[in-house]
Amino acid sequence: MLILAIMAAGILLGFTCFPIRLAKWNAKLQLVCTAVLIFCMGVSLGGRPNFFQELAELGIDSLVFSVVPIVCSVFLVYALTKKFMKK
Amino acid sequence: MVLVAVISLILGVVCGQFFFTEQMIQACSSLADGTLYLLMFAVGISVGLNKQVFRRLREYHIKILIIPIGIVAATIAGGFLASLLCGLPFREGVPVACGLGWYSLSGVLLTNLAGAKVGALAFLSNLMREILSFLSIPFVAKHFNHYTAIAPAAATSEDTTLPMLMKYTSEEVVLMAVFNGVLCSALVPVLIRFFFEVLP
Repeated sequence: MLILAIMAAGILLGFTCFPIRLAKWNAKLQLVCTAVLIFCMGVSLGGRPNFFQELAELGIDSLVFSVVPIVCSVFLVYALTKKFMKK
Repeated sequence: MVLVAVISLILGVVCGQFFFTEQMIQACSSLADGTLYLLMFAVGISVGLNKQVFRRLREYHIKILIIPIGIVAATIAGGFLASLLCGLPFREGVPVACGLGWYSLSGVLLTNLAGAKVGALAFLSNLMREILSFLSIPFVAKHFNHYTAIAPAAATSEDTTLPMLMKYTSEEVVLMAVFNGVLCSALVPVLIRFFFEVLP
């Protein structure tokens, strides 16, 4: 909920008084934040004591359990949005 | 952006595994929380700057539910298929897929429900879903349509993968992604428990 409240505050600021000339810097800030966020995700992943062992044991199954739902989701959402959300 | 994501991830894994102490790893977790707040604020500003987006969203009305419904239905189907491919019982495999990318929650929930191995599988596969979302959003946005770019991200579309959606789609899709992420996140614990109880 806190995340959504923070985003709502950002929307309000952007909607009312954020100077448009700073939009480019805002986009750069997003890029930096994204890189830091992914780095931290990598640290938490690599910080697991048995990370490489887990990856060796469950890597292929994990890949299957991530790729198959992604592919199914992409094709179904594409079919639904193409049918119902034409512009 | 994709290159930045891949390099950041690899650097993070290497640092976490070989260089960082336990304290530094904890500090990174706090840093991630603070960064996510800042990121959401910045994304909010971008959305707010686009004055047309709210009017466009109102026009969709009930159709805004199409994306989360599609993602959840396809992910459940994908869970059945992946269970068959990996030779896992449905009561373990389908809940793993139902993490919808929320690796921390699904990992903990399934460790408690089904043991450490299934919990680790839930953690890794949902983390991979998030990572693969980062990498696939540009491709999906370009070769399918902008709405479909939300599909790989599932529950993560309200936070971590949102900047990727912001960059490769539009402010309108970003707001749909937030709505989708909130709904998917709320469904994750419900779906995991439900399918673990009812499936053979």
